[in-house]
Amino acid sequence: MPRRESFRTSGILVLALAAALGAQGPARPTAQPPADDQILKDAIGAQQSGNTDAAIRGYEKYLAAHPDNPIALSNLGAAYAKNGRYSDAITQYKHALKLQPSNAPVEMNLALAYYKIGEAEEAAPIFEKVHRAAPDQFQPTMLLADCWLAMGKNKQVVELLDPIAQQRADDLGVAYLLGTALVRDNQVERGQVVIDKILRNGDSAEARLLLGTTKLNGNDFAGALEDLSKAVALNPELPDLYSFYGLALLRTGDTKGAAEAFRRELAANPNDFNSNLQLGALLKMDENYDGALPYLNRALQVRPGDLGVRYQLATIEFAQNNVEQARAQLEAIVKESPNFTEAHVTLATVYYRLKLKAEGDRERAIVQRLNAEAQEKQPGAVAK
Amino acid sequence: MKSTRTKSKARLSRRDILTLAAGAGAARLLGADKADAAPVFEEVPPSVSGITWVHENAMSPERYLPETLGPGCAFLDFDNDGWMDIYLVNSGPSDFYKPSQPIRNALYKNNRDGTFTDVTEKAGVSGGTFGMGVAVGDYDNDGWPDIFVTAYGKCILYKNNQDGTFTDVTKKAGLETPGWTTSAVWFDYDNDGHLDLFLCSFVDYGTTEHMSCGDNKLGRHYYCIPRVFRGTASYLYHNNGDGTFTQVQKGTDIEKSLGKGLGVVATDINNDGLMDLFVANDTVQNFLYVNRGKDKNGKWQFEEMALAAEVGYSDGGRARSGMGVDAADVFNSGYQDLFVANVDQEMFSLYRNQKNETFRDVAHANGVAQSTRLLSGWGLKFFDYDNDGAVDLILSNGHPDDMIENYSAQVHYKEPILLFHQEDGKLRDVSAESGPAFSKSWSARGLASGDFNNDGLIDILIATNGGAPVLLKNRCGAGNNWLGLKLQGVKCNRDAIGAKIRWSAGGVVRSRLKNNGGSYLSSHDPREVLGVGKADKIDWVEITWPQPSGKVRRIENPPLNRYIAVSEA
Repeated sequence: MPRRESFRTSGILVLALAAALGAQGPARPTAQPPADDQILKDAIGAQQSGNTDAAIRGYEKYLAAHPDNPIALSNLGAAYAKNGRYSDAITQYKHALKLQPSNAPVEMNLALAYYKIGEAEEAAPIFEKVHRAAPDQFQPTMLLADCWLAMGKNKQVVELLDPIAQQRADDLGVAYLLGTALVRDNQVERGQVVIDKILRNGDSAEARLLLGTTKLNGNDFAGALEDLSKAVALNPELPDLYSFYGLALLRTGDTKGAAEAFRRELAANPNDFNSNLQLGALLKMDENYDGALPYLNRALQVRPGDLGVRYQLATIEFAQNNVEQARAQLEAIVKESPNFTEAHVTLATVYYRLKLKAEGDRERAIVQRLNAEAQEKQPGAVAK
Repeated sequence: MKSTRTKSKARLSRRDILTLAAGAGAARLLGADKADAAPVFEEVPPSVSGITWVHENAMSPERYLPETLGPGCAFLDFDNDGWMDIYLVNSGPSDFYKPSQPIRNALYKNNRDGTFTDVTEKAGVSGGTFGMGVAVGDYDNDGWPDIFVTAYGKCILYKNNQDGTFTDVTKKAGLETPGWTTSAVWFDYDNDGHLDLFLCSFVDYGTTEHMSCGDNKLGRHYYCIPRVFRGTASYLYHNNGDGTFTQVQKGTDIEKSLGKGLGVVATDINNDGLMDLFVANDTVQNFLYVNRGKDKNGKWQFEEMALAAEVGYSDGGRARSGMGVDAADVFNSGYQDLFVANVDQEMFSLYRNQKNETFRDVAHANGVAQSTRLLSGWGLKFFDYDNDGAVDLILSNGHPDDMIENYSAQVHYKEPILLFHQEDGKLRDVSAESGPAFSKSWSARGLASGDFNNDGLIDILIATNGGAPVLLKNRCGAGNNWLGLKLQGVKCNRDAIGAKIRWSAGGVVRSRLKNNGGSYLSSHDPREVLGVGKADKIDWVEITWPQPSGKVRRIENPPLNRYIAVSEA
């Protein structure tokens, strides 16, 4: 199943920065006809007072009459983002930027929306543009570094952060990103120096989280659990911590503990993609489909179009005997992702259930081909 | 470097960083000592049982894959004295291994007092090939169990001479089979009254040169993951009824399906009276061969439909490393459910029969998936260990890579066995409360079930790779009542494979299909023990014999807590 966990993993340390930047206040309206002006003002008021749902309704109503108002578009995007509807937010920001191509705050919000849904490759060029325009701004620089790290551009991260690390010798975030990039770039000795600097500050939840998530990525699940358990003991409020702690528990066999961890993460951040997906998948395996659906739907809201989530939803349709719906969803998935073997497997089963033997056999052949191709890539000798 | 002085303060070392970068772990948790309660299963040591035979796995620096797959084991009553004897399979000479000392299989006669005597040489069943597994069946319907040994290289059929000795009749029977065979099962697919033979074929391992997958992180050869080998077709032999067999898989889905078979169970998934086959494959999809009978050309056909039946892949659509299998009517629905064990992180599957030739994986809902996430499963068995009438489950485990602990902190080479008890229609992991045997770890492979002391409580025998077999005596103190049946077919196959048993006690009617095979490389006590819980009588037992007779025999008020023989005649 396609995953983007590594980006979120590396992004932990700068999420707080992103959250701060993401709270762009609603822009004020210019002169409008009295009635519409009041709708916009009310929406802004609602947004400022934290009533995001009312703000969204107001902006949407206003934009129905004034579809090209960049302020309303931008503010609506911010409101959507606040509710975890990042895809909708991106649509609004893009529309606003078409009208005002040089609006830096909107650009930043667009990049942040991409960043939040794990689209590092979309976010990075925008952060890079912001960084070049204002190289002294710390937050866009850090976010850019994190995106590059997620994209495997380790050398660029080192080049970007080396000078900053000298200026901000005590900044843990810089040290983490730089140290990780150095280690991943096989500059282990230099990486050690940077990370030792972190360790000199003593045991911290952040350090344990970094160690734990890196071990998770390396499939050292027991080691990850040890570090993440310590992180939980040191600071259970650390953003994203319970999401990764849940993963470590899951991979080491404690399913019940994992579910509790995911629930705890979602209590603090209902839009955490990983926790929604994993908890939904666990509930699905328990045949608790009604329980699973809200989590999977929320995950899909956070990352619209995510193939892994859509596959889970399709299998629930199938398990509930909604075979035609499952068929439609799976056909769409394999069309978008022709090498998604698991989706082909389930689609074959769906076809057989529908007595469509020829289609089932066709999918089965695709599965066999994909598996054979995958096996040929396995390390080891080629069979004689 | 000065930074090393900071380690104690931070409690994180430079080595932590380096190991995490390499994706390796070092920490290992020690397992806590578990139950203090009276053991449900008690390990019988060799000093008590007299079983001193030890498996030689032939582990070499090259790490040839056959070294890590064996061995199997069996409970059988070879001398028909009513007491279960034991057969153990060993490795032996092969194209990659020349033993420095003689290596042999072992047949242990039950002395009826909890001890066993090695009678291998007299019986003439010592093997002499690189053995894998064993399947016991009365292929010639003479009332005496015969032994089939699978192998890397050369299978052997030992015909029981009815005098405590056996004769190798492999060639005469037409069962000389090339390649690498693993699990085998006797069953009567065409209901002609003679047991046929299905043979799992593992991978194409080459001829004189064998695969090397290079060196691992330790700079040593390791056991290749079977993904790198080509799959092979399994074998189906038809019993001609005259002591010979004919290979008949050609033109069927059995020939067309290239797998890497490790486990097989014969069962009837759709209650049509024709025995089907569920085959566990390593790294490719499992196979479910549904017996469709004769086609219009008179050719017997099996339809491979694991994908359609949802037992080919994981719930998430992934091919896994299937090894051990079994079948039973776990949930008393009247239909056979299936089980397959896989390697760590894949979790095992318990497939509930949906009564329409499809299944649903309910392992997670039964706690099985959670308990097996870190384990690699081989021999396993559905059985009712406490005779309460509900089907329970035992799983034996062990990772195939002897160096796994160097790469993984949470997965071990030797692993514990697990016991599940059925309560309120769900399985519950009771390993922690079932005795010290469940706190220990083994490199388990084959597993056989059988009542070696005839107390009505089914015992367990586990064959370990490179070690001594583990005999677990069932000491369950539930005090439930039971009836043991030894079925003797007359028109149907003598072992009555495919018979359906129903029994009524305490207001509950239960049923059981006499499946065959299951587990991994192993063969089980052929008798059926019917648990009735606290009921103080059994109202009736009904046996529907398999075709060709299809007769129904009903026994009113049978005796309790003893074995009885029931003949089809």
